[in-house]
Amino acid sequence: MQMTAESKDSAGVASQGGAKREIFLPPDRERLKEGGTPHVVAKNFSIFYGDFEAVKKVNADILSKYVTAIIGPSGCGKSTFLRAINRMNDLIPSCHTTGTLMFEGEDIYGKYTDEVLLRKRIGMVFQKPNPFPKSIFDNIAYGPRLHGVNDKKILAEIVEKSLRKAVLWDEVSDRLDRNALGLSGGQQQRLCVARALAVEPDILLLDEPTSALDPKATAKIEDLIEELRGSYTILIVTHNMQQASRVSDHTMFFYEGDLVEYAPTKHLFTNPRDQVTEDYITGRFS
Amino acid sequence: MADRPVHEHIKDLSKSLIIISDKVLRNFDGALKALLSADDRTLQDVRLADDEIDASEVRLEEQCLIFLALQQPVARDLRTIITILKINTDLERIGDLAVHIYERIPDVDSEFIANFRFGEMGAIAKEMVQKSIQAFVNKDRKLAEEVCFMDEQLDTMHREVFKRAASEIKLAGVDTNQYIVAMSISRYIERIGDHTTRIAREVLYLVTGEIVRHTEGSFEKLIQSLKD
Repeated sequence: MQMTAESKDSAGVASQGGAKREIFLPPDRERLKEGGTPHVVAKNFSIFYGDFEAVKKVNADILSKYVTAIIGPSGCGKSTFLRAINRMNDLIPSCHTTGTLMFEGEDIYGKYTDEVLLRKRIGMVFQKPNPFPKSIFDNIAYGPRLHGVNDKKILAEIVEKSLRKAVLWDEVSDRLDRNALGLSGGQQQRLCVARALAVEPDILLLDEPTSALDPKATAKIEDLIEELRGSYTILIVTHNMQQASRVSDHTMFFYEGDLVEYAPTKHLFTNPRDQVTEDYITGRFS
Repeated sequence: MADRPVHEHIKDLSKSLIIISDKVLRNFDGALKALLSADDRTLQDVRLADDEIDASEVRLEEQCLIFLALQQPVARDLRTIITILKINTDLERIGDLAVHIYERIPDVDSEFIANFRFGEMGAIAKEMVQKSIQAFVNKDRKLAEEVCFMDEQLDTMHREVFKRAASEIKLAGVDTNQYIVAMSISRYIERIGDHTTRIAREVLYLVTGEIVRHTEGSFEKLIQSLKD
């Protein structure tokens, strides 16, 4: 199931504007025909754990500067697909891929791809907040230092900018030297987002970022995604379909390793084309 | 697979809608009978029945809103609830129009009214209501399209009443009031047809996910009907 920048549906949603998503959209015919730019392109891309094909021949264009949600039942391959984008699956010895997965025209699994640089440009936030047992400042400065930034003034600027982007600055600006583990779960998760933003990535991968958070902290993360929309390409894996419908521009539905449907979120949640999608999102799944 | 409680709930809401449609049809049928022959119900009875329809409409709307807020349905479930909400409003308006017909009956000269094809118009409108609800129950696209087609027939008959009234009302010695009554009744039946067409279009939305109101040719048709 491929959704390209040229397809009618994606062009419609993609042209809603890269910055803020408008709640009241103009009629389809009045929208610009320009689609988004493909940022990550999967072509016949499969992921195997040993002999088991966990993700099967996915063809999809993930558009730049939009929020794409990935949904599906447990074990459908959605997290595996997400983790493949910054090669987190490399840590699993039996995992290998076939087909191609391109990022800005470069093969992510190419011979000469530097994973460290790739992960600088494609940041990731996990299900459970995982700050380092260091100060708030050092958590954020960790990535820039790793990439050679040592000037204290520049580091301080990066820390402030990143925390502001993650809407955390006002809450922690007076205690940057305190241990990050002392923050609440929601604050820790936003700190992890800030840490990912500190190295100025192009893409943010969010793997169930709110499943360990309470509703208030969840709302803050969703607000943060809204703030970041248009500045970064964001992919979010979520089990919460209301969250997918609230925050994303496009939605991918995976089932048993297949990308069953990939469509603008507003279409997928009102009039899905595939019966399996329909059954899953309406809870009629057996 | 057995339905989950949430889907049983949607079925209950659909059943409530069908009960309202039965009440509306009964009132409309009564109004037609009273117009064409005699009906033993009084205007008071008809108004009481309409009050009951109104209360049911509000109750069903409240239930749908609560369902939307608590269950946050998507896809077919969302379309079903939206369709129920919209059909509910149209049925309530059909109920009101039936009362309007009943209200004009004391002014009716039955011999004069017999010159018009209100029996036929009423039968078509009634069939349209029945078929549109049937289309909703069975999610029957073909039946819904048939209802839309029937509305054109009803519109033509309504225009004939107006044309005839417009030419004859100028003649000396005619009872102008009776023509006004005839035009009003014709208008009420035609409006019932319009609401039924809306119901059929909501069913088309439910089945296909496409909103078919105000689509190709509908504006031109409206302009043409105004010219006619």
